Amino acid sequence: MSALKRVQQWATFARIWHVYDAAWQNPFHSAKLLKKYLMGLHKPIYHPLNDCGDHVIVINTGDIALPEDEWKKRAYFHHTGYPGGASWTVAWELHDKDPTMILKKAVYSSMDGNLQRRYTMERLHLFPDGKVPADLMKNVSNQIQQIRPVPKRLDHYSEQERKEFPKLIDYPKDYILR
Amino acid sequence: MSLYRQTLALTSRLLLKQALKTRITGETRNIKRWVAPTLNELYTRRLKVGPEPPQPRSTFLEWNYEAEVFAFGKRLGEDFDKNILKQALTHRSFVIAEEEKAKQKGVQFEELASNRSLIKESDKIVSDFLKEEFKEHPDDVAEALHDYLTSVDMLAHVASHMGLRDIILTSEFPVENSTLADTFKAVVAALKQSQDLARAQIFVKDFLISQLNGKDIFDIWNPEKPLEYLTNLLRQRGINEFEPRLCNQSAANTILANYQVGLYNNKKLLGIGWGESIQIAKETAALDAIQRLHYQK
Repeated sequence: MSALKRVQQWATFARIWHVYDAAWQNPFHSAKLLKKYLMGLHKPIYHPLNDCGDHVIVINTGDIALPEDEWKKRAYFHHTGYPGGASWTVAWELHDKDPTMILKKAVYSSMDGNLQRRYTMERLHLFPDGKVPADLMKNVSNQIQQIRPVPKRLDHYSEQERKEFPKLIDYPKDYILR
Repeated sequence: MSLYRQTLALTSRLLLKQALKTRITGETRNIKRWVAPTLNELYTRRLKVGPEPPQPRSTFLEWNYEAEVFAFGKRLGEDFDKNILKQALTHRSFVIAEEEKAKQKGVQFEELASNRSLIKESDKIVSDFLKEEFKEHPDDVAEALHDYLTSVDMLAHVASHMGLRDIILTSEFPVENSTLADTFKAVVAALKQSQDLARAQIFVKDFLISQLNGKDIFDIWNPEKPLEYLTNLLRQRGINEFEPRLCNQSAANTILANYQVGLYNNKKLLGIGWGESIQIAKETAALDAIQRLHYQK
């Protein structure tokens, strides 16, 4: 095999590191998206036995947004294996304990019992905030686009933008807000 | 109920045996119990003894040397002169061995022509033709191609698949690669003598040069230090310097690091290549640049 063909093979099967910002994103929709990159389904060379999955670094998992009242109602089950070891933990409680767990479980369960999910999950790196070790960030060469556009806070708009915004109606000048 | 019937059948059979005072033999028409174990045992013993040593095809039955030699030419679609072809297939070692045998028996030895002179003649034919065919390639590439095609392994491979292995007359068995290679060359010379040089050249093209099919130039020709080679090549064309630029990279901190480097001259791309490290990527880019320069891709 010539050198050119060898490096072509190397480049085709190279592993890419992606970064994804989970802030303001629905973890379950994000999981559906990230699962494709982790399994290698986004590549034309995909085959389950091909080991072509990529790495994904997810930042700001602490800022995910669950829909409606899932924070209060979604409960995660855990059993220690011992008698009386069953426990149900609500999403907000779990998130307080470990801000990466919700997204991790979402990605894991999105793989639907696939036999390779145990080691595919090893390629998922979750961080509750933006602080990622520099070694890992050096590997990254792609950013996955967010699913939902992040809304901008009112106080993050500049004074000029607020003045120029085309308002339809406004409070009267002497109205006192409670 | 069935238990009652079974005991009834058994007792009646026993009584019948007693009455008739005969033996009911167990002869049936199926495959006997001892057949499979016997065959298995024979098989393991055969394996233990080991494979049979290879024998030359000419020692088997139905070997007609004349017919084989005739068929060889016709199979290739070529018209050979019978005597010249036989000479091409006779190796010097065979001639010597025959002479020895004749001396031992005391029989007069009839001179057999060997293919020594034909081999020498063919060396020149093949080399000249290859050089002619590859004259559009750069010098060192043409030389590498020539060396690759005229190597002993390549010629032996072609000869073996052509069916020369069975009809060569040599003293040794199994036939060696060098003998096969030489005989191929002798056959080319025999064709030239039987017909003409043009026909022999077409023969070389069809059987030898066609071995290049599907091969990349860098499978055969590998310039050591491709960057230096490229520098010299560019200097010949008036380009004195080029700069390598990192185009893409992924997983830089891991063992599966992948880099893409492009070589540029005045913002014009000369060559681009991938690599496991930046140095390898540069070398691959140099190889790509060399390929583009030589063949104006």
